Amino acid sequence: MKKILVAALLAFPTLAAHAEYKQVNLTVFGMDCAPCAHAIHVSMKGIQGVDTVDVDLNTGLVTIKLNPGNGAAMKQFNQAVEKNGFTHKDADVVVRGKLTGTAAAPVLEVSGTQDRYALSPTAASLDLATFVGKTVEVSGVLPQAPKGKVSDTLRYKTITEAQ
Amino acid sequence: MKSILLLACAFALPGMALAADHGPVFSYATPVNSQRELSFDSGVFGRNGSRGTQLSTGSSFGYGLTPHLTVNAFIPATFGSGGSLPESRIMPGSEWYAGASWRFLHSVTSVGKRIESTASLGAVVPGLQRDSGVLAGLHRAPGVAGSLATGLASRSQYLWAGAGYTRFAESSQDRRPDTISWSGVYGYRPAKLRRGYDQWDYRGFVELTGEHTGNVLRSGAIVPDSSTTTVWLGPSVLAIFKTVAISGGVQAPVFRDASDSMYGREHVRFAINFSYLKYSSHTSSH
Repeated sequence: MKKILVAALLAFPTLAAHAEYKQVNLTVFGMDCAPCAHAIHVSMKGIQGVDTVDVDLNTGLVTIKLNPGNGAAMKQFNQAVEKNGFTHKDADVVVRGKLTGTAAAPVLEVSGTQDRYALSPTAASLDLATFVGKTVEVSGVLPQAPKGKVSDTLRYKTITEAQ
Repeated sequence: MKSILLLACAFALPGMALAADHGPVFSYATPVNSQRELSFDSGVFGRNGSRGTQLSTGSSFGYGLTPHLTVNAFIPATFGSGGSLPESRIMPGSEWYAGASWRFLHSVTSVGKRIESTASLGAVVPGLQRDSGVLAGLHRAPGVAGSLATGLASRSQYLWAGAGYTRFAESSQDRRPDTISWSGVYGYRPAKLRRGYDQWDYRGFVELTGEHTGNVLRSGAIVPDSSTTTVWLGPSVLAIFKTVAISGGVQAPVFRDASDSMYGREHVRFAINFSYLKYSSHTSSH
């Protein structure tokens, strides 16, 4: 009975945690050889919640897919690159979070992490009034930030209400 | 301005940093360990000359304190009959080494390409084995070794240049020779071999190395004709699969100014090196 309770308690945050990164496609500069890519692979896999990591040396693209219920923060992905002596550029992300702020100045909060982004459109602006206060899934680009920093703006491509 | 100052400081350092796991076999190169990466290298280095063959084995350990600062140590063992060969810093000898390498310039210019410079500084301590040849019976003292390497790494090509300097202290009016060494290396990875990280990664190098050793000081007097200058050229190959690397190379002399009666004639140098790289999966929590 105790075990069932513990399992239920452990499972509950997983089910309830809607705010999370689902996929991060990070462009990395400076990787010239297989060990470079392997080092990135090992570092990314060390982040709790990471499911799969693929590194393409010829394009510098690191594709990270995350498990549901993860609490990984963007800073951790950047650190995994920096600790290996490389440089991270723009990141394409698919992320769930709560849309706060106003329709004119929307903010995406990825609860469970300290990540918080001002949203700006990559193309035509969407009417976000109906999404304010709701959990949404955003696909967009996090522009390159200085070493040790994470961009405070997420340039969105699509926003949909999370199921 | 800061970069210029750093560069000036690095050139002012006396010097040592031979490439191991990620680079060429004989030459100076810039790669350092990732943060928390542990590397272990073990190799066999041979020098063959008119007086026989000298083989050295050695193991080195490196640990990345930061993404650009690695501490390392080298533990040698030398055996064989060619022990009257000239002092060498390019070929590991019987000295223990402990030091640090600092990649003070690191510029990533595009996917897969970076330009960087690394300075190394360390202490050299004579090992337990007795010297032979012109160094036999010499009172031994520790020394300091420093080096500077700079160059470019990319998916297709590598180009590094480096130089090093080693100076030993005097002991009872004896002193081992100062050594100035330099190297230039070009590496190439053919298009067919620019593959994924889950396959063997190969690249080939052409390595040009040179060394000038100063005079040996014995009982306060310079040993005549003990100074040497040699330049070597040859190919090497590096193969890496995830955490293991194997490299090997051979060099022949292209210039030699050394006393035959004192050192004999050195004909060939060769090396095989095995590396194990242990990367850290540690990342901070957010």
